[in-house]
Amino acid sequence: MRPESQRVVDEVLAYMHRFAGETSLSAVCDEAFDALARRIFAYQFEHNPLYRRYCQARRRTPHTVRRWQDIPPVPIQAFKEGVMSVEPPEEAVAVFMTSGTTRPDRRGRNFHPSLAVWEASMRTGFRRFVLPESAVPGGRMTMFVLSPGDDEMPNSSLAHYFTVAVQTFGRADSRFFFRAGRLDVDAFLDAVAAAHAAAQPVMVLGATFAYAHVVDALRARGVRAVLPPGSLVFDTGGMKGHGRELRREAFHAWMAEWFGVTADRCINMYGMTELSSQLYDQTLCTNGTVRDKTGPAWVRTLILHPDTLVPLPEGETGVIAHYDLANWNAAVAILTEDLGVRTPHGFELIGRIAGSEARGCSAAIDEVLQAARETAGDVRG
Amino acid sequence: MFVAEGRAGWLAAEGVIRLPLWVVPPGVDLTPGRTVAVSLPGSGAGGDAPVRVELVYPEVTPAAMAGLAAAVRKACAASLARLKTAEVVDWIDAAVARWLDPDYLPRQWAERLLPLLTGYDAETVRLELKRLLRTFRRKELWRFLDADFANPDVLDAFRPGPAGGWVRALGPRLLVHYLSGNVPGLSVWSLVMGLLVKAGTIAKPASGEPLMAVLFARTLADIRPDLAGALAVVPWRGGDEAVEAPLLAQADAVVAYGSDQAVAAIARRVPPHARFLRYGHRISFAVIGREALAPDRYADTCHRLADDICVYDQQSCMSPQVVFVERGGAVAPAAFAALLAAEMERYQVRRPRGPVAAEEALAIQSFRGAFAFSGAEGTRVFASTDDTAWTVVYHEEPGFAPTPLNRSVHVHACDDVVTAVEAAAPYRPYLQSVGVAIHPARLFPLAERLAELGVSRIAAVGEMTRAMAGWHHDGRPNLADLVRFVDIEPSAERWAERLDADVEWDGA
Repeated sequence: MRPESQRVVDEVLAYMHRFAGETSLSAVCDEAFDALARRIFAYQFEHNPLYRRYCQARRRTPHTVRRWQDIPPVPIQAFKEGVMSVEPPEEAVAVFMTSGTTRPDRRGRNFHPSLAVWEASMRTGFRRFVLPESAVPGGRMTMFVLSPGDDEMPNSSLAHYFTVAVQTFGRADSRFFFRAGRLDVDAFLDAVAAAHAAAQPVMVLGATFAYAHVVDALRARGVRAVLPPGSLVFDTGGMKGHGRELRREAFHAWMAEWFGVTADRCINMYGMTELSSQLYDQTLCTNGTVRDKTGPAWVRTLILHPDTLVPLPEGETGVIAHYDLANWNAAVAILTEDLGVRTPHGFELIGRIAGSEARGCSAAIDEVLQAARETAGDVRG
Repeated sequence: MFVAEGRAGWLAAEGVIRLPLWVVPPGVDLTPGRTVAVSLPGSGAGGDAPVRVELVYPEVTPAAMAGLAAAVRKACAASLARLKTAEVVDWIDAAVARWLDPDYLPRQWAERLLPLLTGYDAETVRLELKRLLRTFRRKELWRFLDADFANPDVLDAFRPGPAGGWVRALGPRLLVHYLSGNVPGLSVWSLVMGLLVKAGTIAKPASGEPLMAVLFARTLADIRPDLAGALAVVPWRGGDEAVEAPLLAQADAVVAYGSDQAVAAIARRVPPHARFLRYGHRISFAVIGREALAPDRYADTCHRLADDICVYDQQSCMSPQVVFVERGGAVAPAAFAALLAAEMERYQVRRPRGPVAAEEALAIQSFRGAFAFSGAEGTRVFASTDDTAWTVVYHEEPGFAPTPLNRSVHVHACDDVVTAVEAAAPYRPYLQSVGVAIHPARLFPLAERLAELGVSRIAAVGEMTRAMAGWHHDGRPNLADLVRFVDIEPSAERWAERLDADVEWDGA
């Protein structure tokens, strides 16, 4: 790592330490956030020529960007098509990739020259939103993970997330139930039964669709997997791209019906490979009163007009952009393909934007790309 | 300024005009249902106040649809099917003649309402609507007929067949149209094709453009009330199987425009005996030879190309999404891409793009992001600075990929356009129009290549979105695909001769 990178890393870590207890909504860190965001922008502008050109075309340079909101967000497509890295990508200690469900040959990549900032961000955010002292006295729990850890999927940021969560906050009897490429539902159900017998609260963690597999299995067997009192359910990702729609309320109804866990003990995380921090709903830190999402103090979220990318006022639906100081190597500002709306307590995620829906007879891009792949004999199920 | 027509259906009251969005044969009644209100700004002259227009949708029940389909079939058999083709041509021509009069009230309605309903620039609608309607003058209608039938008289009676015997062509008694709304007025094209073969017609307009088919059908009904029973335009909720079942059960033929998924969904419900014609997704592109980049030509070429891309915000299946630009002209391909970008910016000032959905805007942001960061040598993204109004992505090498539309285009440099177009091969099932600007000596070698690639129409750059009368839509005959041919074989004719008692018996 070049010395300047190390200095940026140190500054980000110092910021995190200083504002560990704050959230994205805290005004106390406004000035420090603005200064550090622009500092990182200038650094990325200098060392990423493609980003520099992208910004120049929009007449945004470190001289014209006067506040962090002016930093041009990088569309996540850039992570698929190009290399977003200030440090040489071949020197990265970890490369996190998107799942590439739609186009396996085009996976977004986020290069991490060091995981120090990523892991500090993950741990601080997790402690702040998932294990607040009020909800989880003592700060460690038995964790049952339904999704792979990073030994199963070394390039998955989510897998690394679960692994760090278990290492940092899990009791010794924590377990991963996704082994050797499959979810062992039987082992999970046995473990739940044992925890129940011992009245040992657990935290179940997994991608949302992993819960769908478990619920399908429970339904097929006609049994419930009631978690011990004091347990928590953590999910992430939603069901888009897995062939079903699942609203939040429906997920909560599942949890109540099959796991005996009420909605105020369910927490949803929103993360992206292209970021280095995660955002959460505030269920556990507000005793179930606030479901809107927000992040730690080093993340800011804007809702932008999809056409002009101008920030929208509260209540208007637009595209979500995240400004994440922890993403110092890739891009401090990310333009997602998610729609959301700003609220007094953060933002609400409305959903992922599907491929461009053409108004008429001309080709909708996804459909044609699919056809082109089929023509090329490259059909995937 | 506007005055509501004093005829039933154009009710004016207190500055509110109610416009029913359906036309059905006399004797069929549909109940008015929900309304959509549109406010037309006043002209500003003479203190005109804004006019409130209420578009009224009908309630369509399965029983009403069954009755409508039966009525149209019956009326077609009794009136339209008995007409001579020349009379049908006269009928359509008379309607088109009215529409080509700038003072014709329904045309003025269309010119003012369509921009509000579709979001398209008003000047574009005004210009393109009349250009489209000119495609249906009498002389053009005969061109359509002669393009498809060696002898159009077969639509009127049995005529001698080329291989002996006699041939007759019959249009469907009931033709159902599922129209598209991406280009206002294209619905007229579909209606006219059906009527030319004397088809009893029930058309479902697109939800995004519910107006033109109704207005044009009203004109036709005004001109020939005796034929009005054979023509209906009715909006119903797409995919409402209860309503569509009795209709499709009586249909002889169904024409559907739309996305592949939408068309496939209709196809599943069309009974096997009915003919089904589909017009799904298509991709078009342009080919710029070095001859069109000469010092005195390149500016015009660029202007014409920008027009093809920008008109109707690239929503037509004939709009180019990819441009191949040849090296060796006075202007290098990269410079041409920059010129095209500037031309599209000027076009935007002159005729702003219509509003786009969040999904569409985001698709363009992603599209720009993908290529701005691809790192491919020489790739450049030219884009409107403050919004997604237009995007040009320049590539140093030939290639082919669709764009998110709404005025976004790929420009690929190449050494020889005739070989470069090979890049389109993976999109074969979708290829449609190609706009060309190339020396006559190379036109036919290029056309041969394009024909092999699966392209079905080659037009001049600048004319891509205006198909000529007689065009083989997606490579098929417009009219011949709609009819059923009946052959009297020579044997029947000979045998009939023998059964004439007066014929000399040769003992064979």
